[in-house]
Amino acid sequence: MANAKEKVKGWFIEGFVKTFIVAWIWQTFCVKWVWQTFCVKWFWKAFCVNILYKKFDSYKAWLYLSPAIILLLIFTVWPIFNTLRMAFWERYNMLQEIGGTLKFKLGFKNFVDVINYPRFIQCLKNTLLLCVLTVPLSTILALVIAVCLNSIKPLSRFLQTIFFLPYVTNSIAIGMVFEAMFNIVGYKTPEASVGIINTVIGFFGIEPINWINQGSAYWANITVLVIYIVWNALPFKILILLGGLQSVNKQYYEAAKVDSTPRLRVFTRITVPLLSPMIAYVVITGFIGGFKEYSSIVGIFGEDMQAVGGESLNTMVGYIYDSLARNQQGRASAAALILFGIIFIVTMINLGVSKKKTHY
Amino acid sequence: MKVELQNLTKIFPSRNKKSNEEVVAVSDFNLTIPDGKLVGLLGPSGCGKSTTLYMISGLQKPTAGKIFFGDEDVTELSPENRGIGLVFQNYALYPHMTVKQNILFPLQNLKGADKMTKEQMHERAYKAARLVQIDELMDRKPSELSGGQQQRVAIARALVKMPRVLLLDEPLSNLDARLRLQTREEIRRIQKETGITTIFVTHDQEEAMSISDVIVVMKLGVVQQVGKPQEIYDNPINLFVAKFLGTPPINVFDGKVKDGALYIGEEKVLDVGKVNDGRVFVGVRPEGFVPAEDGALTCKLSNVEVMGRDVSIVSSNKAMLSQTIRSIVDADYKISVGAEYVKFNLKPHKVFLFDEYTEERIYFGSQSAPTPIDEEM
Amino acid sequence: MSDTKKIVTMVEQDMKKVTSKQRIVKITVQILLYLFLCTMALIIVFPFYWMIISSLKTTAEYRLPVPTLFPRQIMWTNYLEAFTAANLGKLFMNTVYVGIVSTILSLVVTVLSAFAFARLEFKGKNTLFALLLATMMIPGELFTITNYVTVTKLGWIDTYTVLIVPFLVSIFYIYLLRQNFMQIPNELYLAAKVDGTKDLKYLWKVMIPLSLPNLISITILKMMGAWNSYVWPRLVANTDHQLITNGLRNAFTDMSGQANIPVQMAAVTVVSIPLFLVFIFLRKYIMKGVSRSGIKG
Repeated sequence: MANAKEKVKGWFIEGFVKTFIVAWIWQTFCVKWVWQTFCVKWFWKAFCVNILYKKFDSYKAWLYLSPAIILLLIFTVWPIFNTLRMAFWERYNMLQEIGGTLKFKLGFKNFVDVINYPRFIQCLKNTLLLCVLTVPLSTILALVIAVCLNSIKPLSRFLQTIFFLPYVTNSIAIGMVFEAMFNIVGYKTPEASVGIINTVIGFFGIEPINWINQGSAYWANITVLVIYIVWNALPFKILILLGGLQSVNKQYYEAAKVDSTPRLRVFTRITVPLLSPMIAYVVITGFIGGFKEYSSIVGIFGEDMQAVGGESLNTMVGYIYDSLARNQQGRASAAALILFGIIFIVTMINLGVSKKKTHY
Repeated sequence: MKVELQNLTKIFPSRNKKSNEEVVAVSDFNLTIPDGKLVGLLGPSGCGKSTTLYMISGLQKPTAGKIFFGDEDVTELSPENRGIGLVFQNYALYPHMTVKQNILFPLQNLKGADKMTKEQMHERAYKAARLVQIDELMDRKPSELSGGQQQRVAIARALVKMPRVLLLDEPLSNLDARLRLQTREEIRRIQKETGITTIFVTHDQEEAMSISDVIVVMKLGVVQQVGKPQEIYDNPINLFVAKFLGTPPINVFDGKVKDGALYIGEEKVLDVGKVNDGRVFVGVRPEGFVPAEDGALTCKLSNVEVMGRDVSIVSSNKAMLSQTIRSIVDADYKISVGAEYVKFNLKPHKVFLFDEYTEERIYFGSQSAPTPIDEEM
Repeated sequence: MSDTKKIVTMVEQDMKKVTSKQRIVKITVQILLYLFLCTMALIIVFPFYWMIISSLKTTAEYRLPVPTLFPRQIMWTNYLEAFTAANLGKLFMNTVYVGIVSTILSLVVTVLSAFAFARLEFKGKNTLFALLLATMMIPGELFTITNYVTVTKLGWIDTYTVLIVPFLVSIFYIYLLRQNFMQIPNELYLAAKVDGTKDLKYLWKVMIPLSLPNLISITILKMMGAWNSYVWPRLVANTDHQLITNGLRNAFTDMSGQANIPVQMAAVTVVSIPLFLVFIFLRKYIMKGVSRSGIKG
């Protein structure tokens, strides 16, 4: 840490100068025509307005925004265009582009490759399966817990805190804890310990199951993942739903009490409809999170993302990173666009359904 | 410090790009305020009075016209260089600072020759606090103060820089009725004590009448009348001013002038001398009615409210343009029980005639147009 | 006793019966509620408990056929081993350094932008803001691909810069802070202008103190982000510049080649404890920030 100051200074100067130069070169050479026809005129006008007419307020605003805008241009705006570019350039490879040895052809080859690639289909299957299983399960469980939490007085705050605990965790770290809990220590040795989970289900008379070790079944792997993901997703959903419940007007419940409505009916006819905006929000964010699932699987199954000898448990995001590591930026971009498309469509469907079903 | 506004105009460009409608907030405002006076800018909401105040403060730039403090042209100066104090309608106290820190805040911005030591700042802050009588609350946070106390802190913060001009934007509108009475006396006292030229904005005519030296009545960005409160009340220049000032408000009738006589309905109520024949609006102040057996104006009696010092008679007439006719007469007057009609004579100096189309005042008899306010006022 | 009184007492007794019956139902429901909630709470907490006790067991005890619920012999040496085996010390310092630097820089950028969006007038403000919000829809992985190329071209691979700079601007934080700034009455800004307060001083003396809770929320979430980031550092840095989470998947094996789970759990505990401490002391700010965000880390 002694040379920390030196380093900060170093990256500051080096980084900014370099990014500036890159941006400048790109602007002047790649879009020279656009520059000359539009930007010169615009900049001249902006200069006149800002400096000559003393519009300092406007000038100041751009000054304050400049660090954010420069960073966003490089790390957010440029990637959006570049992803499209790489995805539609056939067999794109960054190293070859830098080398300048190859010209790339426009086309859909990357998409075709990705879709025809069996491992990608496996990733898609895993992702969809996890989404479909975890989102309804965690939402219903969170709703029940939130309603229960809302109808007790003593210990309520304490329990709320407990239920929020999994949120502030590192998904890799706790994934490893789950791995340890489901793991059979000393697998296929005479003195094997079946692990705490198998011990617990043993009390209910269930035979030990090979959850994640060598030779474990695909459904067992998925079950472990679902349990972990639901455990991990609960706190956020409980927090949002409980917040929603607490803002519901108590008068509705008093009115229901006067009519002596049974509890279950109160739940299905009053609580759920009134909470529907929050439920919709939780479901939508749940699906988005589910499609981006990655690190919880790394947590449990390690970076090769499969039980030894078992089926691959890789997800869409995992596929993107794998392609990136293999220097196949074109395929990675195509996969990212497909992922974005899926998320976009699912979100739109969700919004459409919730618009019909929610009562604001 | 004398404040002079010359042809002050503010035009806001239209928000909607498609339509080119501009909003004229203030149009051609001319006013000279002598040193050490308390001036009230009075008008209904949206009449441009706040815009005028903000232009004097420098927070808004006028589209045209000039502003002088004394002989200095301050039109192009930024707010901090004008030497003004500004009190906002919602006080704008910094919620996270104590009263003391709030009052000290403007002083800490002073630079160069004006820069003060800590002791000087404290002395100034306490002086300002004592002036508005909040020196015992210096360590509290604004949220621990009542509305009236917050208002005082805001005034102290505006005064601590010893401004040349003090500007108050609707200083009383956030207070309840009782505090309002108390605070307006307080503002009057502080202004008298410091002698700082003060301009305040209000939509409450009673408030303006009770404490101002001069009232400026505005409507839709145009100055209607400038004058001492009593003068504006006694001698309004047009129907709008007549209606806007006075509680209970002025009673307006549909009338006509024929052969030097004023008629309300079919009844001849006054001789008005040389006034052109035709339809007019007749305004009569509530105290302009004198009940009499042989009164000229017959009104249908609906209610008599005894208020101790005097009696308020509520009645109606076919020619009236206001909701009811409300007249205030001496408590000596005893109305006969069960009477259905009441008859009034009108005091000529409490009757104002207005042109049917322009709503401008028509002077008759001994009435004459108000003289413009002058320097030694 | 008169008749009316009799009737009244009868009715009262009837009502008491009803209420006592209702009370029994109510109490049973409450007991069931507590039972359910406590069971769920136990399930939620159990992994944490297992993590801590496993980290204190000897390897031999961990491998007992029937797991013990409390370690027979407390092994603090597991922690020492974790630190040396996974180079946790170095990774810890890296994480703290990256976390602090990126949080500070990010706060500066966010505050300045939020101020411009909330208080200053300039052409195209609303359009620009809407465009920024629209980019929040795009999944982060899409940016990662190009950013990886960009940082490679810039030669930033294996530096601290690469861990800090690409994530300095968070549109969500700008949005959060802008909303907060907009709630501060405009008159405060005008009053400060009349007093000749410069923009930056106003920002520092008024806006920042008034939006402190939000700034604390942002700081915590940003620090947690550095603490939990896994993919990006693995992609762009080697062990010298990786962050603490990357160290967790290092091989913790004993002499026989079996995974040494107690040491592994010790490493996991080391990573988790700071998060718990932050959570315990700053729960209010985290929950507030999270309920508005819905974005983890």
